[in-house]
Amino acid sequence: MEFVGIAAGKVVSTSAVFLILTIVGLAVARRISTCVLLFSMQSVIITAQVAATAYLENSREAWVVAGLVFTFKVLGIPYAFFWLVERLKSPRDVKASTTPAQSVFVVVVMVFISYAAVRSYVFGIRVPEDALAAAVALILTGAFLMVSRKKALMQMLGLLVLENGIFLAALTTTFGMPLVIEMGVLFDVVVGLLLMGIFTFRIRDTFEHLDVSRLRRLRG
Amino acid sequence: MMVLDVTFWSFLALLGVIVPLLQLGGRGRFVRALSIFLLLVGILAGLAVAGVCFWKNVPVTLRLPSVAAFPLSLAVDRLSAFFLFLICSVSLPVCIFSTSYVTHHYAAEKARWMWALLSLFILSMAVVVTASTGLAFLVGWELMTIVSAGLILIEGDSEERIHDVYIYLLMMHAGAAAVVAAFFLYWPYAHGLEFDALRSASMSLPAGLRGAIFLLAFVGFSTKAGIIPFHLWLPRAHPIAPSPVSALMSGVMLKTAIYGLVRFGFDFLHGGPRWSGYLVLAAGAVSGLLGVLYAIAEHDLKRLLAYHSVENIGIIYLGLGSSLLFLANGAPMWANLALIAALLHTLNHALFKSLLFLGAGAIAHSTHTLDLEKLGGLLGRMPITGAAFLVGCCSIVGLPMFNGFISEWLTFRSFLYGSNLTNTEAQVVLPLMIGILALIGGLAAACFIKVYGVAFLGRPRSTEAEHAAEAPLNMRLGMVVLALACILLGLFPLTVLSPLASLAQLLVPGSTAPEEIYFISRVIPWVALTLLGALVVMQAVRRRQRVAAIWACGLPGLTSRMQYTSTAFSKPIRSVFVSVYKPDRTVNRLPTGQSYFANSISYRSQRTTSFEKFLYRPFVDAIVAAARQVGRLQTGNIQVYLLYIFLTLVSLLVCLRFLR
Amino acid sequence: MTMALGAVQVLILILGAPLARGIIARIKAWFQRRQGASIWRPYAELGKLFQKEDLVPPTSSLIFILAPRVMFAAALAVAAFVPVLQPFALFGSVGDFVLMVYLLALGRFFLALGALDGGGAFGGMGASRDALISTLAEAPLLLALAAVSISARSASITGIVGGTLRQNFFEISAVHILAFAALGMVALAESGRMPVDNPTTHLELTMIHEAMTLEYSGPSLALLEWAGAVKLNIMLALLISLFGPWGMAGSLSPAALGIALGAYLLKMLVLMSVLAVIESSMAKLRMYRVPDFLGVAAALSVLAVFFTMIAKR
Repeated sequence: MEFVGIAAGKVVSTSAVFLILTIVGLAVARRISTCVLLFSMQSVIITAQVAATAYLENSREAWVVAGLVFTFKVLGIPYAFFWLVERLKSPRDVKASTTPAQSVFVVVVMVFISYAAVRSYVFGIRVPEDALAAAVALILTGAFLMVSRKKALMQMLGLLVLENGIFLAALTTTFGMPLVIEMGVLFDVVVGLLLMGIFTFRIRDTFEHLDVSRLRRLRG
Repeated sequence: MMVLDVTFWSFLALLGVIVPLLQLGGRGRFVRALSIFLLLVGILAGLAVAGVCFWKNVPVTLRLPSVAAFPLSLAVDRLSAFFLFLICSVSLPVCIFSTSYVTHHYAAEKARWMWALLSLFILSMAVVVTASTGLAFLVGWELMTIVSAGLILIEGDSEERIHDVYIYLLMMHAGAAAVVAAFFLYWPYAHGLEFDALRSASMSLPAGLRGAIFLLAFVGFSTKAGIIPFHLWLPRAHPIAPSPVSALMSGVMLKTAIYGLVRFGFDFLHGGPRWSGYLVLAAGAVSGLLGVLYAIAEHDLKRLLAYHSVENIGIIYLGLGSSLLFLANGAPMWANLALIAALLHTLNHALFKSLLFLGAGAIAHSTHTLDLEKLGGLLGRMPITGAAFLVGCCSIVGLPMFNGFISEWLTFRSFLYGSNLTNTEAQVVLPLMIGILALIGGLAAACFIKVYGVAFLGRPRSTEAEHAAEAPLNMRLGMVVLALACILLGLFPLTVLSPLASLAQLLVPGSTAPEEIYFISRVIPWVALTLLGALVVMQAVRRRQRVAAIWACGLPGLTSRMQYTSTAFSKPIRSVFVSVYKPDRTVNRLPTGQSYFANSISYRSQRTTSFEKFLYRPFVDAIVAAARQVGRLQTGNIQVYLLYIFLTLVSLLVCLRFLR
Repeated sequence: MTMALGAVQVLILILGAPLARGIIARIKAWFQRRQGASIWRPYAELGKLFQKEDLVPPTSSLIFILAPRVMFAAALAVAAFVPVLQPFALFGSVGDFVLMVYLLALGRFFLALGALDGGGAFGGMGASRDALISTLAEAPLLLALAAVSISARSASITGIVGGTLRQNFFEISAVHILAFAALGMVALAESGRMPVDNPTTHLELTMIHEAMTLEYSGPSLALLEWAGAVKLNIMLALLISLFGPWGMAGSLSPAALGIALGAYLLKMLVLMSVLAVIESSMAKLRMYRVPDFLGVAAALSVLAVFFTMIAKR
């Protein structure tokens, strides 16, 4: 069990770099399915982190949260996305407004900023700095995805990545979220996604495309 | 030492007085040959003085009568000796080259002026680096600018040339104004502006003044050195000068600016303000990258080499900037290493850049064109020139076994030490400069593959290139001397590195010679031995070879037009960096209106010169607008002028009333 | 004795290079459900080429003959930098990674010049494309090596390997992960494998490295092919020794050497399988997408350098 303890500790401390690898992947991905896969990989890493924290803090709530995250974010939501992509029959392209090289540059700068911002905050607090910085980087990446990708599905995915970041930030600062908060956030996200899913169909049916930048004719 | 003093005096006298007088006043071929011989003797004298002072650390001082309150004296201390050595060791092969070049290209009258001005040019650069008072420095500085402008105008004085020379003089004087201001800010602390006084006065300067002096000196010397955005004159002035003069301007004159910056930054100000390192690093990175990117897009050989000078000055600035940064953060050991790297690159660049410009001169001599698109296959026709040019290309790219590698390697190593600093910004910035220097090196390699491959290899692309003949003996001699210097310095760098280490110890107090210099001096011969040994073995076991035409896809034969041109070669890189070039393209089809049945299609792609459009044009327009506003005072009406005098009197009386 | 072992290492890298190529091709064939050629076939090919005579274009110069030999000499010199069986190489402790990268650049410089010397269109095309790729690959390569060098506090290859050895296997360092990812991508670009360049293509317009060797024949072509295989072998060995050197021989006893050899072969097999899978599953990138690929490598290496600063605090 000693070994499991060590492994759990290692998971918490090294997951940051794998999250950053997925962030770089999201910046350069050109197809929606690639982005969804990267999102599910992120969720797997976060599940592992929750499980490790649960083991280290001996908290039963956290195990439940880990199970929830796994079911929803690793299995449920990606499956829903793939189903949506299939049904919408729209081009699989991500429709980025920046080239992959520019996106990667922006992402690297965001990682720098998150580390710089977190550093001044964690002075004296027992917070794993790497994980918190990765969380902030995830939030910024989610926002960047929503801004720079013109497909409506990518807006949803950006929101999901952002929520991943918020979740991870809460996890690292509170060492196991109270279950109630997690349920609340999760349901919030699920309902939001449901609504966005319905609206995507409506947008596609009305306008024949899913390009968000072309929705400007809705101005009054 | 008496002998040294006499030698130095003779160097100055020969180059400054005797040779010009003999050239301009003397008649007959014997007198002119004698004066050229005396010029070479004079340069050798200077070389001897510089060598003794640099290697044996023997200073030389010369006092000249002072002018008004300003003393005038020259002194050769170790830093000046290094730069004097640089000047003389490059001038010697260039003058040997010129003996052939001038006789072939100029009529007797112009040739005399050429030689006279050439010797004055070398003298002025020597005065700049050996000056030990402010006045001597500024006199030499001014003389350098004026004489080089004269040398450019000797080549011809068409409208375009005069315009380019005008821009050159303007920018040089703007830089000189900044340098003069930097000197004169010392005035309250060191009357007379002697360098010793300046050095000791710097201890007592207030911080704001130190920053101002450094900034002014930086702006002034960077204008001369060709740092972006002050580089505008470089690609205009260097290509239109005669080739030996281009070699001297690019190889040596730019280095006097480096000398000035090192003097001010390290000797006088002992490192300058805390932000000095970042400023110099940023300037170096921008110049290095943009310089090489602009160079890749060029197909005029001399303009390409001029932009490469901008790039290499950028690399020198990277070394200087990291040295200043280490100094400001209290790490003299690594500041020492970075300074050695920058100074060695100065010497290396002088050597290989002048070699490349002399090669360009030889190509221009044989083919009468410098357009890369019209050259090709010259290696078979000009083997010695081609071999020397190859050495120059390998050196500038920084390949091992040549001198450029040593200085780039030292610069890389100094960046690695940045991670040991405690200052977090420096900890990140310096290792990231490794990436920038690597990118610059890679782009330079691509550019010189293009230059050498298109000019010297493959098939000739024009009849001039096809009938090119080998360059005359003196030209070849000058180039071979420089090429040998590059190779020897690349294989045995310790000869120059150990005195440079002592020099750096003087400029960066509290440091010892870094062990990297011994490290690289031990490794390089082994690597060279391995490479050459492998090559010899492979050549020895060579089998027979047969000449056979290459596959031409079934066509009767390949023509030279089927090869890659210089523009085609650089196209992938230009496409990737299109945001830097912002080309504007025009395609014309004749006859117009029938795009599918055109008889001829012309394509023109012009790079936007962003600095001219966004920096200089608005600046110049603002000045002209302001001047126009002030010009409204001149109405031409006599009564208005009388009114001005009357108003001045009245205001004086009013001031007098209120001062009581 | 370690010098002799160092020489043996160089021989392993150079003589084993065609075998590495053969094994990769065999794994790819197995992955693609083909029979595949024998793993010893590259040796037969080299032997055949060495028997033939050199065909030289009439307009070429000495550079055409010199280029393959300089390329091979440079590959040979670089092979002396890389530790294989023991954490020591002939040049590994006196030469550092900057020298190693620039020796590779020397080989590439002369290869491009030789390609342009052929006087045909394909040589220029290959040289121009290769210039783009090697330009953009050099910065991530040097930055990634600098990152591991900073974290190991030494610039020589031996020092870096020693630094990684001292680290516990379970102390997965962020710097090493990012640098490994960056170096892996650069290794694909530098050795001309998919998705950057297809080494088995026959269509000239899709060639990058192959186009540079198109005009060569006989021993020159053999030397070029061999040098390319050595470069791939060196890249793989470098990845192994910098990021996974555990198992290297600490002493000169036969047992330790045997274990080291076995560990090396096993790790090479794993890397070669990964390479074969990548090559079989990815399509070749369009040439103007390669800068994006290398840009990702550059971003990862910049992050690796950045993480060295974080790790030091």
